[in-house]
Amino acid sequence: MARTLERPSAGGTPSPPRTTVSELPGRGFQPTPAGWAARAAAVLAPLMVGVWYVRSNAPVRSDALATAAVIAIGALSLNVLVGYTGQISLGHQAFIGIGAFTSAYIISESHQPFLVGVVVALLVGAVQAVVLGLIALRVRGLYFALVTLAWGKVAEQCLFRLKSFTRGGAGAEAPRPSGFTTDKAYLVVCLVGLALILLVDWRLVATKAGRAMQALRESPQVAANYGVDVKGYTLYAFAVAGAYAGVAGALFASRRLTVQSGDFDFAGIALTYLIVTVVGGLRRRGGIVAFSLLYVLGGEYLPDLARAIGVRTIEVNAGYYIQALSAVLAILTLIFQPDGLGTITAPVGRWLRGERFQLAHGGGALGRGGGGDARP
Amino acid sequence: MLAFEVARPVVLGVVQGAGVGLMAIGLVLIYKSSRVFNFAAGEFATVGAFGFYLTKSHVPFLVAALIGVLAALGTGLLTERLVIRPLANRPRVTLLVATAAVAIFVIAFQFLAGAQGKLFGAKALVSGNAFRLVGVFVSWQEIVIVVVLAASGAALAWFFGRTDLGLATLATSQEPTAARLMGIRLNRVAMLTWGLAGALGGVAGVLLPPLTQNFTPAFGTTDLLIPAFTAAVLGGMTSVPGAFVGGLVLGLVQNLTQFNVSSNRLPGAPSVAVLVVLVAVLVVRPTGILGREA
Repeated sequence: MARTLERPSAGGTPSPPRTTVSELPGRGFQPTPAGWAARAAAVLAPLMVGVWYVRSNAPVRSDALATAAVIAIGALSLNVLVGYTGQISLGHQAFIGIGAFTSAYIISESHQPFLVGVVVALLVGAVQAVVLGLIALRVRGLYFALVTLAWGKVAEQCLFRLKSFTRGGAGAEAPRPSGFTTDKAYLVVCLVGLALILLVDWRLVATKAGRAMQALRESPQVAANYGVDVKGYTLYAFAVAGAYAGVAGALFASRRLTVQSGDFDFAGIALTYLIVTVVGGLRRRGGIVAFSLLYVLGGEYLPDLARAIGVRTIEVNAGYYIQALSAVLAILTLIFQPDGLGTITAPVGRWLRGERFQLAHGGGALGRGGGGDARP
Repeated sequence: MLAFEVARPVVLGVVQGAGVGLMAIGLVLIYKSSRVFNFAAGEFATVGAFGFYLTKSHVPFLVAALIGVLAALGTGLLTERLVIRPLANRPRVTLLVATAAVAIFVIAFQFLAGAQGKLFGAKALVSGNAFRLVGVFVSWQEIVIVVVLAASGAALAWFFGRTDLGLATLATSQEPTAARLMGIRLNRVAMLTWGLAGALGGVAGVLLPPLTQNFTPAFGTTDLLIPAFTAAVLGGMTSVPGAFVGGLVLGLVQNLTQFNVSSNRLPGAPSVAVLVVLVAVLVVRPTGILGREA
């Protein structure tokens, strides 16, 4: 893991003794059968509620949940760049939008099935991200953030208005796959997509490539000294992030049935996804998915709540209240709790895997002195 | 023909570029003092614009302008105190994300106050054309903008070159520890630069909207932020005059492409031009045109 790397600038202070795997608290602990049963119940209960929810005629908000799944995939894509690799992207509206328009084009103009649309969106998303990654090789850190910002603007104002690609301002059609045209059925599609992305992301971090990317975050120079192919893995990270975003875009497009250039603006996509990633917790998959859900459900149920207590302005502008609130949460997260919601979800995850339940488990995220840039 | 394709965009470019340059100076000041890329800068301008145009019809003109600038200044100070100072020793990427969160907070606040999708009229502060220059009219409004912006730039140059406080700010940016040992209060300097940056953004926000007759909520972030950053990068992120010159260059580049590339052939040409300039500068000459340190 990246924690084993030492930055040269940290030289003066003696480093604390390294914790090896066998010394980690909780090892050697085995849950009792009742403990395993509780863990199994904790996994199965939400699953069963989910199955019941999808099959029942209960008043459901499937569309909102599908939105949450799309936001979660987009935020996981940002997490690969910001969380794992330490690159920052402020142009994610381009990443998501390119996936959306590509999928729409493939489905409605080339008359291919939905799955082909998703796969092509994935590939195109990866390619555009790699092109951006080539710039990241030359321009690092904060300056690269500017390039992504400008790239997002170009996508918004130029790419998404090319008539041959997006049908101009009227929007491109992106029908849902046959058999999955209802909101509820389409939710299943989105959830399968999210599950696949989570699976890929989990394996990604656990492999050599994942460790290499995290080494790059701490210091590209040190990583290079340890034999990490800096260029290759930077581009790899961009390709992965672009691929996730392409999938998110394809699902986004078919959820709305039409895509327009106006759907992909800086404040609505790039900043919102960034904030979801930060509040969910960088490098905390569970936290990111959880906060995507909270973010969408907040916007969904706040109007009801506001109607109940009779505050009209909140009822009408619930989405913006949630956005403002999330921004405040993001700042508070950065200042007080760099792991974000991951502070809660990560211990739950470890508990489910058969460890003791305990909140503190080392591992700093963005902030806390480590990582990033030590120059004044 | 020449008048439309060259002279008019040049005039507009200089005027808009001066405003962009002013915002870029704000970015440079903050970068010099806190080493932060301030993504909330665009919203300083928006706050200034709202402060001015919402009060203009109720109070005298100059009072409204003052309200706009003060509102932006206050936003800058609040950002420094509530967001930047608690994060002072964190990695710079963290600070960047935090300023982006400030931007989205201000944007969401405008939207929930009912500004979403609206267009706010911004009539010229002074009407009429001043004179005719190679076939194009130059309005008094444009002259006022350029004069005010140039005056602000000159005042800043004087401040940093001739006053103790200005020198203290420069010293802090170069060597915070030594500056502190010399008795400079770093928090005060940070407050000063963020306040100044807020006020500069506010001035740009008050002056620029009449050029396009109206403005939309969050226009500072969507329209001005990227050119301003590119201008600051052209100045090497550290040079105040460089940032202002960079602003003029960006204004010219944007308006010349706007007027000469048909949006049917390539929509959004100015944004493409800005990206090209930004990448070219960063790849070819990262120290900018007038910058000394990278």
